[in-house]
Amino acid sequence: MVIYIIGMRRIAYIALSIFIVTVLAAAFNLAIQKRSDVTAAHTDELKKAATGKAPYDEKIFGAESFTLPNGMKAVVIPAHRAPVVTHMVWYKVGAADEPRGKSGIAHFVEHLMFKGTDAYPVGEFSRIVRQLGGNHNAMTGQDFTAYHQSVAKEHLETMMRLEADRMRGLIFPPDDVDSERLVVIEERRQVTENDPRGYFFEQMNAALFVNHPYQHPTIGWLHEVEALSRDDAIAFYNTHYAPNNAILVVAGDITAEELYPMAMAIYGDIPARAVPERNWTAVPPLLGTQRLVLHHDSIRQPLVRRAYRVPSARQDKDDSLALTVLASILGDGMNARFYRSLVIEQRLASSAGFGYGGTAWDDGRVVMSATPLEGISPEAVEAAMEEELRSLIRDGITDEELQSARTRLIDAAIFSRDSLTGPAMIFGYTLVTGGTIDDVEYWQRDIAGVTASQIHDVAARYLDPDNMKRRPYVTGYLLPANQSGAQDTPPPAPAPEEQAE
Amino acid sequence: MIRYIFLCFAFILISSPATLRAEINTDGRILDIQQVTSDQGITAWLVEDHSLPIIAMRFSFTGAGAAGDPADKQGLSNMVATMLDQGAGDYDSQTFQLLLDDHNITLGFGAGRDDFGGSLKMLRHHQDLAFDLLRLALTKPRFDEEPLERMRNAALSRIRNSLSNPRWIAARIMNDTVFDGHPYALNAGGTLQTIGRIDDAAMRDVVEKRLGRDNLVISIVGAISADEVKDRLDALFGDLPAQAELTPAETIKLQNQGKTVLYEHDIPQTIIQIIQPGIARDDPDYYKAAIMNFILGGSGFGSRLTEEIREKRGLTYGISSGFFNLEHAKAFQISTSTQNDNVADMLTLIRAEIDMMRDTEPAKEEVADAKAYLIGSLPLRLASTDSIAGLIQNMQLDHLPPDYLDRRAAKLDAVTVQDVQYIARKMLAPDALTTILVGRPGNITPSVIIETLPHVE
Repeated sequence: MVIYIIGMRRIAYIALSIFIVTVLAAAFNLAIQKRSDVTAAHTDELKKAATGKAPYDEKIFGAESFTLPNGMKAVVIPAHRAPVVTHMVWYKVGAADEPRGKSGIAHFVEHLMFKGTDAYPVGEFSRIVRQLGGNHNAMTGQDFTAYHQSVAKEHLETMMRLEADRMRGLIFPPDDVDSERLVVIEERRQVTENDPRGYFFEQMNAALFVNHPYQHPTIGWLHEVEALSRDDAIAFYNTHYAPNNAILVVAGDITAEELYPMAMAIYGDIPARAVPERNWTAVPPLLGTQRLVLHHDSIRQPLVRRAYRVPSARQDKDDSLALTVLASILGDGMNARFYRSLVIEQRLASSAGFGYGGTAWDDGRVVMSATPLEGISPEAVEAAMEEELRSLIRDGITDEELQSARTRLIDAAIFSRDSLTGPAMIFGYTLVTGGTIDDVEYWQRDIAGVTASQIHDVAARYLDPDNMKRRPYVTGYLLPANQSGAQDTPPPAPAPEEQAE
Repeated sequence: MIRYIFLCFAFILISSPATLRAEINTDGRILDIQQVTSDQGITAWLVEDHSLPIIAMRFSFTGAGAAGDPADKQGLSNMVATMLDQGAGDYDSQTFQLLLDDHNITLGFGAGRDDFGGSLKMLRHHQDLAFDLLRLALTKPRFDEEPLERMRNAALSRIRNSLSNPRWIAARIMNDTVFDGHPYALNAGGTLQTIGRIDDAAMRDVVEKRLGRDNLVISIVGAISADEVKDRLDALFGDLPAQAELTPAETIKLQNQGKTVLYEHDIPQTIIQIIQPGIARDDPDYYKAAIMNFILGGSGFGSRLTEEIREKRGLTYGISSGFFNLEHAKAFQISTSTQNDNVADMLTLIRAEIDMMRDTEPAKEEVADAKAYLIGSLPLRLASTDSIAGLIQNMQLDHLPPDYLDRRAAKLDAVTVQDVQYIARKMLAPDALTTILVGRPGNITPSVIIETLPHVE
């Protein structure tokens, strides 16, 4: 089984998929889902939904929640179609909470969570889950670390016992810590050192988040990962792994009434302890234009990318919703503005995208990217992207664009329920980044409320390429080694005495 | 690839499970699969389920895949797949895409080496439009010049992008090496040269000749009844020719067995692909092999390869084994990667695990654990309407009966420790391993050094 990391790309992917799933989760009349006879009259239901009072004012998932006396929150997402459950524990600690110089420790601890306790020695956790026909995994992001298993309902209690046991009882066997550090370094080589795109994304991100903990890759900088010690891991674990810093999410054939006594018995007696507040350093005003150019031998297809820091859902819910609909208008499919303009009309690129990741504790990101056609300069593609933004800021969006984006998002809601882990991921990720259950449940109503002027407004405030004072952005070019000369060979490294001054 | 993943039960471990949509029915069947035959004699498998207003469908034209593409038009079927939803009937590319987007209809086509197929997913209340768009795409594709040029450009970008992906490079070399002389050795995604040669006429030829009613396999899951499916089948596929004109590929024995093939690439971690002859899905020993694979490298954590190489020594982030089955070739693969300096040690360790699997019986617990997982995890694989559709489609493509899922547990359960060693001795072939290396591995003496990537430029 793969323990995986959510690095920059992974975050972008997950954020996008969560966003999509969340969007899909929106706004489908529950009456439709509850009907036993679905073979007739959907259209009528939909019309009713569209014309009745507060058509989207119903919960999508019907989740229930409670909090244990030790501060551990729990969310239950009932889905009784089958006798299976997904069990997740989300910790409100991620790469952004790492001490300076210890990048990668959050992810390293996630790996070490599989290295055993007194009760269940190394290897036992996976073996038990496997014997029960279950699947399990874990993931680390900037804002969170999460562990999850999917099993038949009757094995839920065993999963809870295993997870509770390692919330407090990890033993960090020294040999296993050493071999696992090598595994993590191999993981980093696989995603970054072996792939110029990995470097490119990592460095763009560092430029976007100057002086903010998001500037560090989740997997950690190589030289810092190599130096992570067992003591570092123990200290991080002891500081952050506590029930009052965790959220329990269970989806499937279960109710809050059934879960509560089990949760009390299994997680309830783990003592709370003081967990440090998040006091993250902020990005200072960056007035210069930041452009990152990476030439690499193995690159044959150039890539142009621009990333903006924008509000996350926690920072500004209304702006975040408007950015969500905006991203659909600009980036969803071959009729979205970016693709239509850069690929179809201007013939500058073979692909063009625009996405917004707003599920974050601190700033969210808007990322736009395009792959220039042969013979088209990255500057030309960048200029075309900027023109799209300028025309958006100048003219706004049409009612037709707004209407079809909203309908598209809302009408797709039903698909998100066709999954067990999907809803659990949505709730876990939303809550761990400061959102609420209602943010998920009433997503449909919230999306339906977004107006054209709101969208116009967020575009002007956050994406204006000509107003660097508002929000900083970074533009990146990933290019073949020989393009535009100059940087074919990097300058020789300075001699040690020069570095030491 | 979907089919490949299905064949390797153990690989499923990595996929994320979702809702079990079909529990044990009252009649004891795991999935209630109906076989529906239309008036025109077109057959589909159906799992009817009204818990959500969603319909998912898979369709495959067997033998219509990339293995039928001429060498000077590599990438042809793949280009057809990308072009079928770029305009059909009266709808030009943009209109067609807009209809899909605005109604949340997911329509996609794909060309494997063996089969050409696709999937369609929609909300029930958009089914008339969705099915009609699919019918148009299959029977009245436009292949207009404007989208064709765009799709050519996209294909060229994709190929150029692949050149900085060492895993893709390893796969490319592996196919070229072990299928040498066979159409499977060609690049199904096309080359930088051949993409430009694919024109309207070549694509029409694929659609008109390879897509027939006699090589069509269909699965449908969701909020639709058997009667509705019957009508849909004729409307959708009734206009296709009764018989496809196919040039069947020949069966091929893996080539270049025992060789170590190196492609030097300036990266710190070498990609390692090991491949050897495998076993057919309908071989009576298949279940023995499935359990053997689970123990050796199929299960991720807990597998011998992962425990010895990752957990004990930290040599890799991931190592796994699995079956790679095509219609005309059956293979077994081990995939991993490690720092350049460790490659020689890694190969020695893998070889030792293969030998151990052959030389000694596995522990009873290992076999019991494998069975417990492979049997017990089935409910998690019956995830969404979509994943059930994929599952039953693959059952059909593998010529398995509709009650296969009900009989599978007993077949796995019958496998003994002796059986596992028996199949390991019979199948695992340490001297026939073809090893592909991409990177700058130390202490390796390759038998072949690849200078130029085959079928790429």
